[in-house]
Amino acid sequence: MKQELPVIIGLAFGLFIVIAMFVGGVPALTTGKNYVDDWFLVVSAWAIAVGVVNLTQIHGRRVQQRREGYQYSLWLMICMFGMAFFGILVAKSADHEGWKFMYNNLIAPMNATVYSTLVFYIGAAAYRAFRVRNVEAAVLLVAAVVMMLGRVPLGTVLLGDWIGDTAEWILNVPNSAGMRGIQIGATLGGIATALRILVGIERAHLGGTGD
Amino acid sequence: MWQKLANIDRRIIYALMILVIALSLIKPVGLAIVPTAETQRVYDFIDALPSGSIVYLGFDFSAGGIPELMPAAHSLVRQGFRKDLRFICAGMWVMAGDMADTAFSIVEEEFPDKEYGVDWINVGYKPGGEVLLQKMLSSIYEAAVGRDHYGNDLKTLPLLNEAPTIKDTDALFIFVTGTPGERQYIAHVSSPHNIPLCVSTISVSVPELMPLIQARQVHAGVLGMKGAAEYEVLVGNPGSATAGMDAQSFSHALIIVFIILGNLGYLLTREK
Repeated sequence: MKQELPVIIGLAFGLFIVIAMFVGGVPALTTGKNYVDDWFLVVSAWAIAVGVVNLTQIHGRRVQQRREGYQYSLWLMICMFGMAFFGILVAKSADHEGWKFMYNNLIAPMNATVYSTLVFYIGAAAYRAFRVRNVEAAVLLVAAVVMMLGRVPLGTVLLGDWIGDTAEWILNVPNSAGMRGIQIGATLGGIATALRILVGIERAHLGGTGD
Repeated sequence: MWQKLANIDRRIIYALMILVIALSLIKPVGLAIVPTAETQRVYDFIDALPSGSIVYLGFDFSAGGIPELMPAAHSLVRQGFRKDLRFICAGMWVMAGDMADTAFSIVEEEFPDKEYGVDWINVGYKPGGEVLLQKMLSSIYEAAVGRDHYGNDLKTLPLLNEAPTIKDTDALFIFVTGTPGERQYIAHVSSPHNIPLCVSTISVSVPELMPLIQARQVHAGVLGMKGAAEYEVLVGNPGSATAGMDAQSFSHALIIVFIILGNLGYLLTREK
């Protein structure tokens, strides 16, 4: 029953949402869906609190047991609770100067720094990966070089308009054709997974291993 | 010697990248930026909206997307306020409210006559992902649990009375870096309710966006930093994206040089 009840609830609500999404003009369905949407929003908000508890458990244990790199876990908890307490007890509004200072001078630059370091990894990875080992690799290499030059002004300055036009063509024709295939495949996979969850074949989210 | 070319220490690549990017940003060459048809379509679309139109802005990204997306957001605010458009901002990402706040930080200096609550609203981040969008179809007030990003009661903001639901807006313009993003807006808002959708996205997401633009599920897109730079040029306020294109140009050129060197080393040592 521990497994069956959540599956039954999931099936009932899942089918209800699917029907309410695709069947229009039935006020009872619309009203019902509005209620379910409200519940979902409340659950989503609480999920943040659950996330905090989960992180505290994982990193608290790591600090307690002095595992390798526990200092980072400690720092994570100081930042997480520090920002939360400051926001809830001191700032109380996103308009607070102290909150804005922390956001503008800590969160934003750190987040942007982590993302921008990718350029170095991509640069080094491109150097190692783009080797003309066979015909397919050569095609990939040429396409990559055309894209890299065609999407920046330097390419047009050095080589003329054709490089930009060729990059546009790659983006619009072979790329779009490939992306469509991938996206259709992923969507069908998503529908199949959703159906498996609805009918209870896939139970990993309940802590089980499925069939 | 050729062997060395095939195995250049990655720290050398990192150091040269830093040097090239820093020099390009400190001393920009000012390479000419010619707007592409795609960015022009975004500009023309906003330009064609009647004065007083309400545009929903979705800030669905975090600070990592600032260098590529914020220039486009600033350009949109400039173009929109010059045409007396009005904006309702929200987002499914936790930094949505702060991103909108940053985007509208230029208003005080450049558009002193524009007033918060009348000309723009920052609803901010609200949890729920795509369910939030569905909820905003019936009531933005309820979806936001009655409060904006700054804690104001949304009922006190006149603009929301004119557009109480996302369906009442004239257009959607979203800034996205991933999921939830454009697909959720297309599935629940723009396609079912026939509201035009423009998207500004980061360069790595451009290939994924192209089929949606071709299918016209996305009306037009500002594609990466290049698109943002073009938008800045069209609006007449070259800024950080325009400056960033020099850095991007030369860093791409440097990567190509390393690829050529690596292949020379690989091919010549392979012969042996």
